[in-house]
Amino acid sequence: MTLLEIKNLKKVYTARFSNQQTEALTTVNFSIEAGEFVSIMGESGSGKTTLLNIISTLDDATSGEVFLEGSPLSKIKDKEISAFRRNTLGFIFQDFNLLDNFTIKDNILLPLVLSKTPVREMEERLMPIVKNLGIEAHIDKFPYEVSGGQKQRVAVARALITQPKIILADEPTGALDSKASQNLMEILKGINETGQTILMVTHSAQAASFSNRILFIRDGAVYHEIYRGDAPAEQFMDRISKSLKVLSSRGELDE
Amino acid sequence: MNNRFFSSLALRNIKSNKQLYIPYLLSSTTIIMMFYLMASLLDNEFVQERSSSLSPLFVLGTIVIGIFSVIFILYTNSFLIKRRKKEIGLYGILGLEKKHVAKILFFETGFTSILSIAAGLVGGLIFGRLFFMLLNYMVRLPVDIIYSTSSLIVLATIGLFLAIFGITFLYNVSQFTFANPVKLLKGKQEGEKEPKGSIILFILSLVLLGWGYGISVTIPDPLEAITKFFLAVLLVIIGTYLLFISGSIFILKALKKNKQIYYRPGAFISISGMLYRMKQNAVGLANICILASMVIIAVSTTLTIFIGAEETLENRFPYENNMTLFGDVENVDEMNTRFFELQDQVQNTVYAEGLEVTESESYRYATFFGGVQGNEFVFDQGYADQENPTVLMVLPLEDFNGMTGKSYTLDDDAALYYHSTNAYKDSELTLGNKTYRVAEVANEFGEDMDLVESMAIVVPDASHLLEIQDDFKEQYPETNYLTIDAEVGWNTSGTEEQKEALAKKLNGEYGLGAGGSNLYDSRLLQREEWYGMNGGFLFLGIFLGLLFTIGTVLITYFKQVSEGFDDREKFQIMQKVGLDRETIQESTRSQIVWMFVLPIVIATIHVIFAYPIVRKLLLIFGVTNETTWLLSFVGVVIAFAAIYWVIYRLTSKTYYRIVR
Repeated sequence: MTLLEIKNLKKVYTARFSNQQTEALTTVNFSIEAGEFVSIMGESGSGKTTLLNIISTLDDATSGEVFLEGSPLSKIKDKEISAFRRNTLGFIFQDFNLLDNFTIKDNILLPLVLSKTPVREMEERLMPIVKNLGIEAHIDKFPYEVSGGQKQRVAVARALITQPKIILADEPTGALDSKASQNLMEILKGINETGQTILMVTHSAQAASFSNRILFIRDGAVYHEIYRGDAPAEQFMDRISKSLKVLSSRGELDE
Repeated sequence: MNNRFFSSLALRNIKSNKQLYIPYLLSSTTIIMMFYLMASLLDNEFVQERSSSLSPLFVLGTIVIGIFSVIFILYTNSFLIKRRKKEIGLYGILGLEKKHVAKILFFETGFTSILSIAAGLVGGLIFGRLFFMLLNYMVRLPVDIIYSTSSLIVLATIGLFLAIFGITFLYNVSQFTFANPVKLLKGKQEGEKEPKGSIILFILSLVLLGWGYGISVTIPDPLEAITKFFLAVLLVIIGTYLLFISGSIFILKALKKNKQIYYRPGAFISISGMLYRMKQNAVGLANICILASMVIIAVSTTLTIFIGAEETLENRFPYENNMTLFGDVENVDEMNTRFFELQDQVQNTVYAEGLEVTESESYRYATFFGGVQGNEFVFDQGYADQENPTVLMVLPLEDFNGMTGKSYTLDDDAALYYHSTNAYKDSELTLGNKTYRVAEVANEFGEDMDLVESMAIVVPDASHLLEIQDDFKEQYPETNYLTIDAEVGWNTSGTEEQKEALAKKLNGEYGLGAGGSNLYDSRLLQREEWYGMNGGFLFLGIFLGLLFTIGTVLITYFKQVSEGFDDREKFQIMQKVGLDRETIQESTRSQIVWMFVLPIVIATIHVIFAYPIVRKLLLIFGVTNETTWLLSFVGVVIAFAAIYWVIYRLTSKTYYRIVR
């Protein structure tokens, strides 16, 4: 079943005081099946983050459309957009975006509280998730009292607790050391194996190698895509590296 | 690197942080202006001349605003510096030594303090002049109250605020000296440790408040009220700060524990936000609460004095025409003839003007000082012997019946009495060598009786007055001031013009200028002067009320703006994970209880407990009507709540615009 479908997506930024226009996305087309773990790779400025922001409804497309389960995101009314974001999407950010005034527990529960979920249900949902992520010992601490890797796991818990249709992760390993990155990616892979769809933007070939499919973006368009298939991790890493090399060398040739 | 470099760097820092510095400069300028205006009143001619109790009250006011300035500037500074930690941490990483950073901070503090002190003084001068002009125009006093100031006050203001800014400088330097740059870089994010509610502080706050309230409730008489008022005010102010600091932690933590309340969108965001910056929050609320109390007390009491002016006049001058007859020390008995002769003369004068006496009252009395011991009134030689002598007024039954319209009869050994503290309950009372069987009566002698402890005794006839005086002289042979005095008061028929003509005539014959042992006072002629004076009080009350209201605006504004910048990032994050704007508004709405209701309610409680002591103070100004006070109090509370509501709405809109 196709969960997410992106058709002819285009985004043009116009500078505020001039007519100079920057094309962040030219034409993007791809789709994601339910249960997939897809990574998007590309160099800085390639349009990855713009793409993710549009899918997250944090930004509007200039033209084209994003369909989630067949319905276009642009048709969602302004009033419903926050509830949509809360209930349908889960977010993981590079810099965690945890709130220092909430305990770990309250940070995780935040989207549920905003949806006015009954307290009992919140607590029922909380425990299995924090146990699974290995942070149940820390739930009464504050974010500034735990390590970066733990913070990102808290963010994962916050993304999972609403049982979203898709998790959108923006450079989730960007602020973590290699050991914590490895650990986080294993967790995300585990989550994906339970059937959760994940779309991740990343720089890191290592992180991307945990996904089933990788899209390479360049100059605002999907340039290349590879599937992991049944390939072992090392072989997949190798293919990623080669693709990245091709991506950058072709870019030089183009210029 | 020379100072020129550091000073230009400091200047650039202020400019590039103008988002933070504009509210900071604005609020410190205003607080300096407030202090300067308040201190200027100390020097004011009206305050100096009108009443002896007025100038200590203004000293108190100045001290309170002084303390308040210290707390407020330190409070705003801590907000400011917390937000700049990252920037200053960066200097350390870029290679500036700590003494260099201190130099930059020195110049920054220097510039901001010079700017705000100068602006505060100039603003105060202009505002003071303008406002006094406006008030003079509005209140229309017979003589304008002139705004004045002196170089001493200017110097004192400069000195105080330089000292306060000096403290902020030291505080800021210490913040950076004891921290490493990496920590500073993260400084803004690092939360205040969630405070533990201290039971000791909470109990202490209740003790201080109880003490302050207790002083007010148990105050025995007005003269003591003046001296104890200061102590009570200071206790309540300190108690309020502690109460807000410790009490709000308890309440918020209790709310947080209650999952049904806490886990709702609005409460979730606002409770956790308030717990996060509890101390600043509590100090801000306490500031608002104290200012609100001051506004309410200042305006409602002066309003009462003004509204009660007519009543005061009636207390002071029970009749349109009043005459006090001072007895002759050499020939005490003379009064018993003069008393009747004078009444005849007055009657004739009134007839001569073509008017009639419609109402009148007259009585003779002798005054003694001493104290009740057991069931005997023990004489004192004079004022100086005892700190608070009981004033004893003895009057003949004939005059008492005449003035009350009652017809008591008394045996030769019987007497009536009134005791202002209602403490005397014996059935016998010895006065001099004579013991009377006594019966208690209500206060028929005027509200003045209750100002200090006093007693009135009605004896069978005027000869008893002389006997008691003789007994007194036996005890103290050198006494030379005992007399029998008398009061005569009467109303007449006729128009205002006719009454005024009569008053002027009598004033010429018996008035203060005429000399003699009879003193005439006309209520009509006194009225103008009374209104002048009481209008002056109202004037000062409105002025102070306005000053404190400005303070409230300032603090509310600063609180909302600074917290807005603090919370902005949090709200951005929450919006990313699905917070909608309605919930943001809901969370700002649920702060209403804290920001709006709490300070007003606590201020109202303060004012209710201040009631007894303020009432005693008002007695000094001759205001005895409690309804007037109560009404003006309720009116002022409602009016202030309305003003504060507007302030609150406007500033919370600013907050919403910042975080949105």
